[in-house]
Amino acid sequence: MPRVFITGLGFITSIGNDAATVAGNLRALRHGFELYPPFQKPEIACKVIGTIKGFNTDSVDPEDWTYPEGYEIKRETIRSMAPHGLYAHCAFLQAVADARLGEDDISNTRTGLYAASAGSPMLTYFHHDRLLKLGPARSSPVGIVASIVGTLNFNLVAAFKIQGASCGFSSACASSAHAAAYAFDEISLGRQRRMFVVGGEDGNRDAILPFAGMRTLSLQTDPALASRPFDVARDGFVGTGGGVVVVLESEDEVARRGVAPYCEILGWGQASDGYNVAISHPDGAGSRLAMDNALASAGVAPGEVDYVNAHATSTLIGDVSEARALRSVFGAGGARPAISSTKALTGHGLSLAGVMETGFCALAMRGGFIPGSAHITQLDPACEGLNIVRETLPAAPRTVLKNSSGFGGANVALVMRAPG
Amino acid sequence: MSDSVQPTASSNKPFPVVSKPFAPDDEAALREALKRCSPSTFEAAVQFRKTGNADHMPAVVIGVIERFVEPDLRAKLKDADDDLRLIEDLGIDSLTMMEIVILVEDVLQLTINNDELRSLRTVGDVKTFIDCKIRGLPLPRPTKFLPIEHIGAVMPVEPPFLFLNEASVSSTGANGKYRITGQEFFLQGHFKDNPVMPASIMLEALGQLAVLFLLEGAPAEPGKAIGANTIYFTGCEGVRAHRMCKPGDILTLSIKPKRTKVPLATFEGAIRVGQEKAVIAEEITLTFSYVESAVAPAVINGAAQPVPDSENSARPLRVAINA
Repeated sequence: MPRVFITGLGFITSIGNDAATVAGNLRALRHGFELYPPFQKPEIACKVIGTIKGFNTDSVDPEDWTYPEGYEIKRETIRSMAPHGLYAHCAFLQAVADARLGEDDISNTRTGLYAASAGSPMLTYFHHDRLLKLGPARSSPVGIVASIVGTLNFNLVAAFKIQGASCGFSSACASSAHAAAYAFDEISLGRQRRMFVVGGEDGNRDAILPFAGMRTLSLQTDPALASRPFDVARDGFVGTGGGVVVVLESEDEVARRGVAPYCEILGWGQASDGYNVAISHPDGAGSRLAMDNALASAGVAPGEVDYVNAHATSTLIGDVSEARALRSVFGAGGARPAISSTKALTGHGLSLAGVMETGFCALAMRGGFIPGSAHITQLDPACEGLNIVRETLPAAPRTVLKNSSGFGGANVALVMRAPG
Repeated sequence: MSDSVQPTASSNKPFPVVSKPFAPDDEAALREALKRCSPSTFEAAVQFRKTGNADHMPAVVIGVIERFVEPDLRAKLKDADDDLRLIEDLGIDSLTMMEIVILVEDVLQLTINNDELRSLRTVGDVKTFIDCKIRGLPLPRPTKFLPIEHIGAVMPVEPPFLFLNEASVSSTGANGKYRITGQEFFLQGHFKDNPVMPASIMLEALGQLAVLFLLEGAPAEPGKAIGANTIYFTGCEGVRAHRMCKPGDILTLSIKPKRTKVPLATFEGAIRVGQEKAVIAEEITLTFSYVESAVAPAVINGAAQPVPDSENSARPLRVAINA
């Protein structure tokens, strides 16, 4: 089976719009939260989100959008995008440059793209409302491809002329972890030589506010306190959006092109809670099994894992159930990997989270640090017994495990290893 | 959307141009709708909406098309003739065509069916189409693009005396191209060691394009068709040659009918090479007569069949949904 490596990264996130800035903020534990103007209303209790800086995608008309200098996107390309399509498009260009890929490397039958996003609630609403009020004849012909789940892969595959496998993944907050995992499979099964893994979320009012209906968002008004996974006073997650692209390549391609990979993906596992549509299993049963499966598939013993990038979103139930799962996987043999949740800095990227945090793990391995779990004032006693690191450690993790979980109790774990 | 629907048959209904007085609210909505168009487009739209005067329509339509064309291609539209092609020359795909239509509908307050769109291939087609919609006139036959096989099949001349490589014919005129290869037999003597396309042959080429128009574009009379073997040259006036044309030059020919009444048809004609004028003919006159339509269109040698019209007109101007 061909080995699979991460060779390129691109980020548009609440903590930075390029890999260097993101790595710097992870290391220094600088968060990306702000009071979000559309939420500063009496009827909206949630006030803070992880904002994307340097972009304005408030309008329903993509031709109104602004984005940082250095990116140039034609009207015919941007017209069918959702806001997160723009973020991911920019991240894609970064990842291509980072991996030093030429046009021929991108557009060929052995290079594919797997993506994950929840679609664009803002544009779905806008186009549907127009459809019903004005009729189909006055509706945009690109309304569907700009808004439905899949918009991310439709647009990127067309814009970059991808000819290999393409697909979108929908398992809520595990979606882009699934995308990365199955992209790994495409290469390790010899079907593709290279895969782009893309996650994106609009991260705006329409994408985040529905979670207020579930009472799952933090109501904190202080941006520095809103997201604090594993803290006893945590009160829900902070939403965010963005776009992240990770390039996976086979060992042959890495050798042929002579590029230095960030890390190798050793394997992955998944399992489902079979418990509740939206609530995590109290003992983290699915998460535990996903981690066990991932470690077995990777041929890695729990004691070899140096760092776990947790799914922990700062919700009351979710963080505890993951903590129990972690204790079950690592506690029995006395393993004490460093554990942190970088969602304390970025917020919860929903469908974007898995690939964003996989990218963070790659940055940590190359940069020689383990990002701390920020904003913990008092650790939740239910999370005790775990090596949850509150400060960034200046040590390069060699073997890393990345957890992701989504609605319906879907759980995915990826195992990565630094090169050499 | 049925392939069998004839655009001309389905949409021959007058359109109520000014349905209600143009209010300040309408002007604000119009300004918003046209915010990415030139100020002159907006002005033309306001005038049209206030007066219903169709003379303002071309400026609106061109302004809307321009807004959807990539900036580096807009120059083409600036000094475009009506033969500028939407897909090939302006890079407008079927989705963009829909966007253009929606905005034109919105601004001019008219309704366009998908079936009607399919045959619109040039800027001229669009202008003529909208004009007919506004005036409640029957929709014209769309521009037909004729490949060499079709031209050879319907024309009463043939190589080495056929001077058209390709042509398009609409109800308002015809355009063609001919590339001087240098292999033409008459260039061996015209002139000695200096091959120059004879002006008389260039007039012949314009005449051939006029013949093609009579056969493929002229409005038909019920039960009758123009017989290919009834058309002959009778006269030519106001001819000026501006430029020598030599092997390698591509002649762009165009003719427009001035009068067509049996037994005479007169045309004005012009030949360009790139942007340069080559030949002008103020009036070319042909004689023709009608034959029973059962024997038309003329089929040379009874062998080659004209390319079915549907192949030329069923262009992909409908939204290609790949879902």
